Amino acid sequence: MSNSEHPVPDPETAPETAPQTPVAPTNVPEDGHTEAVDKTDRGRDDAFLVLGLFENTDALMAAIPKVRSKALGRLEAYTPYAVHGLEDALGIRQSPLGAMVMVMGTLGAITAFACQYWISAIDYPIVTGGKAPWSWEAFVPIMFEVTVLFATFTAGLGMLLLLNKLPFFGHPVLSSRAMSAITRDKFALSVEAEGASRAALDTRAVTQALKEVGAVSIEIVPQPEPAPVFTAEFVLRAIGGIVTACVVAGASMYGAVKWFPELPPMTHMLEQRKLMPQKSSSFFRDGHGMQLPAPGTIARGYLPLGASSQDEAAELVNPLPRDIATLELGKQKFTERCAVCHGALADGNGSLTAAYGAKPANLQSAQFQRYSDGQIYWVIVNGKNAMPSHAADLSADQRWAVVHYVRALQRAQNAKDQDLNP
Amino acid sequence: MTDAKAKSPVILLGMTGLGALGVALSFIRNSHERFWVNWIYWFVVLFTLGIGSLFIVALQHLVSARWSIPIRRVPERLATLLLPVIPVALIGLMAVRVLYPGAQPEALHDHVLAGKVWWLDLPMFSLRTVLVLVAATLSLGVLVRGSLRQDKTKDPGFTVRARKFAPGFMLVFAFLVTIVAFDWISGLTPDWYSDIFGVYLFAGSFLSALAASSLSVVLLKRGNRLVEVKPDHLYNLGGFTFAFTVFWSYIGFAQYMLMWYANLPEEVHWYHQRLHGGWHTVTVVLAVLHFIVPFFALSTRDAKSDPKRLAVVALIMLGAHLLDLYWLIFPVLGEGPSFTWTELSFALFFLGVGLLWLRQAFTWGDDMPVGDPFLREGLEFRL
Repeated sequence: MSNSEHPVPDPETAPETAPQTPVAPTNVPEDGHTEAVDKTDRGRDDAFLVLGLFENTDALMAAIPKVRSKALGRLEAYTPYAVHGLEDALGIRQSPLGAMVMVMGTLGAITAFACQYWISAIDYPIVTGGKAPWSWEAFVPIMFEVTVLFATFTAGLGMLLLLNKLPFFGHPVLSSRAMSAITRDKFALSVEAEGASRAALDTRAVTQALKEVGAVSIEIVPQPEPAPVFTAEFVLRAIGGIVTACVVAGASMYGAVKWFPELPPMTHMLEQRKLMPQKSSSFFRDGHGMQLPAPGTIARGYLPLGASSQDEAAELVNPLPRDIATLELGKQKFTERCAVCHGALADGNGSLTAAYGAKPANLQSAQFQRYSDGQIYWVIVNGKNAMPSHAADLSADQRWAVVHYVRALQRAQNAKDQDLNP
Repeated sequence: MTDAKAKSPVILLGMTGLGALGVALSFIRNSHERFWVNWIYWFVVLFTLGIGSLFIVALQHLVSARWSIPIRRVPERLATLLLPVIPVALIGLMAVRVLYPGAQPEALHDHVLAGKVWWLDLPMFSLRTVLVLVAATLSLGVLVRGSLRQDKTKDPGFTVRARKFAPGFMLVFAFLVTIVAFDWISGLTPDWYSDIFGVYLFAGSFLSALAASSLSVVLLKRGNRLVEVKPDHLYNLGGFTFAFTVFWSYIGFAQYMLMWYANLPEEVHWYHQRLHGGWHTVTVVLAVLHFIVPFFALSTRDAKSDPKRLAVVALIMLGAHLLDLYWLIFPVLGEGPSFTWTELSFALFFLGVGLLWLRQAFTWGDDMPVGDPFLREGLEFRL
């Protein structure tokens, strides 16, 4: 044991009031040369930690409970390789990172769900791909991604900033003299002051304790000099760097756009072979993208009339029941489409008659009284004389409802006594 | 599956006998569909448990894992369930003409199936099943019989041979699981198919084997066997189980979501059936038992090495695997979920036979592979 040649300072000679008084270095460099003065230690009156070196893991593990029982400060061990059971011996509690990740991951899932629910189901509900606005299945992949995002960011940043205390760039133990031995074949136990106050570290007591448990060499590592980050030089360099990056990026982008041909990255979607309205196409022989429907095509909801002349149409039967709902619909459509020419009473006296000097049919006349339902229907579909077709304006049901309503108007203008309520 | 050393086999024998009576009665009384659906269900249960355990063994050899050597004998013994599976599968082939539309004469008139009849019909179906059984038995012989022999010979050569055999087994294993998934489960509804279905069954198979292994290790430890197995070993088993609950859910949900999105009639009817009526409840319960409960129960570090909690989660996991296969197979009957005396008898019979087999299997060889040259390293495993 070499520490007998390099005694630790006598507690009696050190000033009582300043336990953190610089203590002479007591470590023995691995090459065996003893240096009289440790320059990392000189002129500092604040110790950051005290390192005790041990020859093997058994010595280290035996020392830990003894030093720990004295409660001198926070214990940490530095070893050249992982030593099983070290965490338990040092009493290092389980990292809170797992709980943090769990909480933030759950928060990520809730955030993603709430965002999507509010956007898709409340604020802007659109049916996409035939799915209801509120479709939880579609939310799950994004919930999964955001959960992973929150969890990994929490794990990474929490580890760096909260647990490893970034921007604490270099731990003082890295600049200790013992470090080269720790990375080779020595096992170090360090005692650090608990909490923020470094003054609480009683270096004499710690040194004594480490010596008692058989540390072959003891070193007091001083507190690192605080390095200010936001100096004027740093800020100027940062601003200069940002400006340079902007200028270089802007100039290269300008040049790239101006002098180089456009290279679209992916155009499969844009340039796929498909039929476009109003565009030519090599698919059909006549070169048109738009084609007439094949002969005999019937559009959905537009059954053909089945009659080729008004006389044939006379046989058609009004399929709608003559009830209040139908007559209301007929009245509405008649007022919208027919009354402007034929008049509200179907007497051919509409508001447009005078303006255009036209002579629309008086549906109250005997000729039209004799028309069958089918014949009136035919005229609505095909038009007659100056009257245009209303096939595009009125659906089949609406036309038949109008026919019912015209019948009602005819009846109303030619009411008989027995029509009155008894 | 259980220690069962202290227990008398009388209960198991009685259970099996009662079950056998019910199974026989069911063959006479029930429709053939119901009987054979129950039969193939139990074939798939036993097969997935056995092949999943063999997968664990092969996986440890493949990556030369040391931590798992002290507990490797447990999945090795569980894998021997592949032997009683052989008669179950061969008898189950009688179900092919009854249950599988691809093997029925009507398939020739179905324009979707007509071109596949040569593959789906009984001869090719039987050929594939026999190949699966032969490959599984041979692999079992190499990995498990070799390991049991090593107990006495202490021949380190086995460890090398097993490591060389494992990569090839992984390829064969992929085919075995996929064939069983496609033929025996997905073949019940041949117009429905999912490319990922084999992976889905693999996830369930591996999870059930992990759960059975964890449960057996905990029970053996309670019976003062496997004393040297530390919480660190349990932690790894728990970690595997934890990770693969997520894998199973990922595959299961991915399969569902793609079909839900595409909404193709030939695909979506399979899920439509399982998301309406009583099956909807089963689906929800399955998601809770197979994912949510084990995921949160095992999420903390201490939970993974706590034997009591691990045993409870393993039991839930095994139940969830049974429910998963029930959910896959039984809707083919076209009824809601039901559990009658038929299902009870089948459960009693096959659980009884399986437990009796395992009771015997857990006496084969030492509790640890004492011949493995790396056993000491495995015992010294620390997290």
